[in-house]
Amino acid sequence: LEQASRWECDCFPKPYNRKAFWICSMLILSLMFFFPLRQELLKWNGWGYNDSKFIFNKKGQAEFTGKRYRLGGMVLPTFKEWIEKTFGASLEHKTTSRASLNVNDVPPSIVNEEFLQDLRATKISYSQDAEDRVFRAHGHCLHEIFVLREGMFKRIPDIVVWPVCHEDVVKIVELACKHNLCIIPFGGGTSVSSALECPEEEKRTIVSLDTSQMNRILWIDEKNLTACVEAGIVGQDLEKQLAESGFCTGHEPDSMEFSSLGGWVATRASGMKKNIYGNIEDLVIHIKMVTPRGIVEKNCQVPRMSTGPDIHHFIMGSEGTLGVVTEVTIKIRPVPEYQKYGSVVFPNFERGVACLREVAKILRALFASICLFLLFAKGHALKPQVASIFTSFLDGLKKFYITKFKGFDPNILCVATLLFEGDREKVLQHEKQVYDIATKFGGLAAGEDNGQRGYMLTFVIAYLRDLGLDYYVIGESFETSVPWDRVLDLCRNVKERIVRECKEKGVQFAPLSTCRVTQTYDAGACVYFYFAFNYRGISDPIHVYEQIERAAREEILANGGSLSHHHGVGKLRKRWMKESISDVGLGMLRSVKEYVDPNNIFGNKNLL
Amino acid sequence: MKCYTPVIYKGLSPCKPNAIKSAVLQSEQVQYVIKQLAKEMGESPDIIQEEATEILDEMGHRMQLGAVRFFAFTLSKIFKQLFQRVCVNEEGMQRLQHAIQEHPVVLLPSHRSYVDFLMLSYLLYTYDLALPVIAAGIDFLGMKIVGELLRRAGAFFMRRSFGGNRLYWAVFAEYVKTMLRSGYAPIEFFLEGTRSRTAKTLTPKFGLLSIVMEPFFKREVFDTYLVPISISYERILEESLYAYELLGVPKPKESTSGLLKARRILSDNFGTIHIYVGQPVSLRTLASGRINRCPYNLVPRHLPQKPSEDIQEFVSDVAYKMELLQIENMVLSPWVLVAAVLLQNLPAMEFELLIEKTLWLKGLTQTFGGFIEWPDNLCAKKAVLSGLTLHSNIASLVDGHVVLNDKGMEDGAVGEMVFRHALAVLMCATYRNQLLNVFVRPALVAIALQMAPSFRKEEVYSCFNFLRDVFSDEFIFFPGISLKDFEEGCFLLTKCDAIQTSQQEIYPTDKGSGTVSFLSAMFRPFVEGYQLIFRYLSKEMKEAFTEKQFIPGVRNFVFQLLEKGSTQCYEALSSDMQKNALSALVQLGAVKKKKMPSGFTYNVNQEAVSKILDMFDDSADAIPEHNEFLFPEYEILIEPEEPEFPADSTDDEQGAEDTSKGAKEQEELGAAGTADEAFQSLDEETLEAMAKHETEEEKIFQMFKKQVAAEPEQIIRYCRGGEGPLWVSGENRPEEKDIPNCVCGAKRIFEFQIMPQLLNHLQVDSLGESIDWGTLVVYTCADSCGGGSEYLEEFIWKQDYSMGCTL
Ligand SMILES: Cc1cc2nc3c(=O)[nH]c(=O)nc-3n(C[C@H](O)[C@H](O)[C@H](O)COP(=O)(O)OP(=O)(O)OC[C@H]3O[C@@H](n4cnc5c(N)ncnc54)[C@H](O)[C@@H]3O)c2cc1C
Repeated sequence: LEQASRWECDCFPKPYNRKAFWICSMLILSLMFFFPLRQELLKWNGWGYNDSKFIFNKKGQAEFTGKRYRLGGMVLPTFKEWIEKTFGASLEHKTTSRASLNVNDVPPSIVNEEFLQDLRATKISYSQDAEDRVFRAHGHCLHEIFVLREGMFKRIPDIVVWPVCHEDVVKIVELACKHNLCIIPFGGGTSVSSALECPEEEKRTIVSLDTSQMNRILWIDEKNLTACVEAGIVGQDLEKQLAESGFCTGHEPDSMEFSSLGGWVATRASGMKKNIYGNIEDLVIHIKMVTPRGIVEKNCQVPRMSTGPDIHHFIMGSEGTLGVVTEVTIKIRPVPEYQKYGSVVFPNFERGVACLREVAKILRALFASICLFLLFAKGHALKPQVASIFTSFLDGLKKFYITKFKGFDPNILCVATLLFEGDREKVLQHEKQVYDIATKFGGLAAGEDNGQRGYMLTFVIAYLRDLGLDYYVIGESFETSVPWDRVLDLCRNVKERIVRECKEKGVQFAPLSTCRVTQTYDAGACVYFYFAFNYRGISDPIHVYEQIERAAREEILANGGSLSHHHGVGKLRKRWMKESISDVGLGMLRSVKEYVDPNNIFGNKNLL
Repeated sequence: MKCYTPVIYKGLSPCKPNAIKSAVLQSEQVQYVIKQLAKEMGESPDIIQEEATEILDEMGHRMQLGAVRFFAFTLSKIFKQLFQRVCVNEEGMQRLQHAIQEHPVVLLPSHRSYVDFLMLSYLLYTYDLALPVIAAGIDFLGMKIVGELLRRAGAFFMRRSFGGNRLYWAVFAEYVKTMLRSGYAPIEFFLEGTRSRTAKTLTPKFGLLSIVMEPFFKREVFDTYLVPISISYERILEESLYAYELLGVPKPKESTSGLLKARRILSDNFGTIHIYVGQPVSLRTLASGRINRCPYNLVPRHLPQKPSEDIQEFVSDVAYKMELLQIENMVLSPWVLVAAVLLQNLPAMEFELLIEKTLWLKGLTQTFGGFIEWPDNLCAKKAVLSGLTLHSNIASLVDGHVVLNDKGMEDGAVGEMVFRHALAVLMCATYRNQLLNVFVRPALVAIALQMAPSFRKEEVYSCFNFLRDVFSDEFIFFPGISLKDFEEGCFLLTKCDAIQTSQQEIYPTDKGSGTVSFLSAMFRPFVEGYQLIFRYLSKEMKEAFTEKQFIPGVRNFVFQLLEKGSTQCYEALSSDMQKNALSALVQLGAVKKKKMPSGFTYNVNQEAVSKILDMFDDSADAIPEHNEFLFPEYEILIEPEEPEFPADSTDDEQGAEDTSKGAKEQEELGAAGTADEAFQSLDEETLEAMAKHETEEEKIFQMFKKQVAAEPEQIIRYCRGGEGPLWVSGENRPEEKDIPNCVCGAKRIFEFQIMPQLLNHLQVDSLGESIDWGTLVVYTCADSCGGGSEYLEEFIWKQDYSMGCTL
């Protein structure tokens, strides 16, 4: 059977053209199984596409490979120096990941024959292949990637199934109930909360339910501006396909190239442009979910209803513990007529935050996104020349502050990138408003290009970690949300805490510890932290890393920040759930779980 | 002129004192309260804002480098005149230097003198460290020029009490916090709140401490360093002033002319000052694991919010911890030891003996962890002499004897003499008191040992606990850890061989009786003083009273007793002790404290106070006089009996052999002392020999006497299962049938007998009136049934002296 599946997927061309692919597959759907393995395009032990990564070329200069991103093919001359200076890393000290998966290390697939028979009868595709199973045994937390490079998971799914529609999912869930199996839904696999990791102590067969083949837009309703979409569709496909009809959802999480609609719903995701379009909870009109108790959905597709607590809110953020989201009706908008980027440089982070707060107050939802970076983390981290990683981005800025900011300390400069969308006139009007406010806070407009490059960078930042890993540098980002008045204190304290913890845990080089404000709300902001350090000389870097991340999270909580703004809880942050939502709150969630899934079929152990 | 470029906090954005003031006025915190008050009082916010400005002007410092330089200059002159030396721990200064750069710093010096903060600022200046801003009492402002100068040197002023004034509180708190948050300068204040007049550390005040801790709780700063600083004076500038004050002679209001008068002091010598800058303590570290919930997350941080109980408790713990750290690093001079010895040996003490005792006390103090500064290689005699020279106003050497200087110009009325003597005693006590902080735990154990009805640990502990509660305002104890304090006290006493502990018991050793009685004598003034004060309260105070009434009242009461000579406790005249005793009663619930518009009033619960007094009275004499209800207490010592033979024994050899046999058997049994052994050695033959010239009855009694002669005070003879008791008489011995079986059915066998000597010890020995016995023989179950914890009824046989026997 495994043979068969390989063969079938080979008949398809590799290019990542979802649409063409979808049409083809529809044609042969009734004839045979098919296994379009997106995983073949993707790294098995790192982030993103196989062909896109940072490398050091023969001259020792950093380069980003591939043609998918605008940064592709560019050489970053001073990047090497930056890495060396910031982390005390050296190109001579390289770690190498295992080149490919060693199939012998992989835990065996244990599936009982009766279930397999039943499964075959449903004609739903499945695989017990080691690579397929390992690929779905993890998300993208640091420790997970580290395990892929150097070790092996203790527990992985025993079998992967590919339902192609809602009915398939219903059948699979029924079978799982019948045979008492554990199902873990798998969307895009971009989870960063250990949500996809299999509980080690799970004795039952674990079925990874990969939703990637449920990726059709079922219908578009232009009158009501909604679209009904299968939950497995990934972000970029959804936007591309909608764009063909002149629409968009506007939901753009940084992981949108790979994360799925169902995943967004399951984790309460947030997109960069949420100011205009809203977060997933604002976008969703109707959800259909298959649970062990049956199907849960509403009777109509309306903008709002008052029928007790909104059941959508049990589903959103359920992190695969209650059932499988199969179809979602989502709001759509006409593709905006006009889009404009922008950027503002501030003399320091404090001013930048103050400005963002003001912009959020006055303009509210009138601009798509504003995002504040601490350009050069103070002292040891990003020195101006650094910036080479952001070469094009920063070169512009550098010129800029040299000419206009002579009086300021470049080490503490900070920049806000802006994105406006809508009709041209309005965009220009709002843009002016933002710049006016920025001026009040000592900000200076720093050009459109810089803004655009800034946003582009958010997509390649994730690739950086893999490079670091090659040179003994481990790192991660984590996020929180926090009331406005505590943003500065929280940022300062968390960064300081990280530096201190590193020192205490014997990290020899001062870590990179910096942050940015990525979302603004009426009542607060979302803050991201970036944290990386050189682990040479430390025997158990992952453990040290986890201790530090944990300390940082405690610090966040003590500073009045939330457990998570959008990454979710998974298993990584479970320990703080009670503190976050109170005993009773936790009890409420538990009782829902107990009713919906009394036998814990959806046993990924997230959240509760 | 010195170039002063201090190290500063890394996050500091430099600003002028006035900028701080306007930041405070504009702050959300102050604005919120202003608006609130305006609403409540129907007044315009502008008026209140103005009020706030005035408060701030009254309070705020205006640190100027010029003034600082001026101060430094004059101070260095003055200090050189006054003091021989100022010793500083250098590494402490270095640590401080690091701390100041890293996080906001709070300096917490001990407070014994006005010199404290002048000296500290001077020191920081000398070491090129950021000058602190200092919370000073508003009374300083009375001193026109000096007050202003102090202000320019960085002092800010706070009213002594402003509990009810919300605006004042808000402005003050925000002022302090603003300076702290911005890392503007180290904040300095005195946990004790005021100068300790007695040189004992005062119980901490929490207000300012909780203000400086709040920015951390609210995470407005990453961390805050608390730096305990111990400043010890060989001779305290204000010593006589304090003594007068304690005796109720009113203290002169701080005034410039007062300070000028103080200049007369300049010609005098005040010895050495020791300044120990403690390890900076990270508030974050202290709080980790303590404050889990984040109580400030759910309310905007600028709203005034009463700290949660958790936090209040934490603040109090930190305050005590800091004071204990201060105490730990206080330097004790030889004179402190001299004073402690001298006070126990009034009116006069032989010089040589004083030296000897001082030296002994030095050893003890070191065992207890006291930090003594004994000049290198200085022999004891010189050390004592130099102490006497420095403190010649307190004591002097007359004809080889050391006496207190308590003579007035002319010996006047009795009252005058009492006052003079009290003055001298209190001044001397100020120095002894410096030891008490170190001695209090072992000493309270020693007193508890004398108080407790037995040596059982629980009972000693419960007395200790009682004392600790009663003296909770007198000495510094970390809240709540009574048992730990007790254990520490026991540990220290064991360390100096004064006591021994077993699983269940604590008892003084023979060797240690000196130590134990020294310790209890050291604290006797407090034990007796408190009793006097309590007695006054329970007898005289039937109605509600205020502190203003209480102090002179109790002072008169004690004064009269002293005049009459019915007490020697001069220290009970100290208003400090009187206040502490009152507040102890409040805490123990024996006095109710009520807040009235005019201030606090107190109400005594007579019964509760007499109960507390009873606790003391029991302890007053270790062995109470004969008492109708209670027998005196003793310890029972158990020793094996060495068989001794009368010289006229008929058969020496056999006797010797039997002895060894007995000894062997004893080893085998591993048991102590024994009647059966006695019987074995007194075999038939011996008995017969005796019988030759005595009547049967006499024989038995003679034998009894001989046996007992070895240990004439014995009260119990123990030998379970042995051959039987030592009878006093041939008559009235039980036969086997007389001894009932145990309830479990097993036979009862002899376990021990109680000897008639006990009657002596119990002082129930008046013939014909008291109870009486020859011996009491106790039989217990051979199977030791009921093995558990419950009590069992056993069988006792009472044998009297036979009538025919004459003594
Ligand atoms: C580089 C990077 C950038 C990121 N940026 C963002 C961002 O900007 N905003 C944001 O919100 N998140 C972001 N994330 C986090 C992650 O992309 C989101 O959590 C995303 O929603 C996960 O979607 P997924 O399809 O990859 O789900 P997966 O990772 O496959 O699964 C996540 C969880 O959801 C469950 N699940 C998935 N599909 C379903 C379904 N159909 N029904 C029921 N349960 C399901 C899974 O069991 C699992 O518990 C980022 C992650 C990375 C690595």
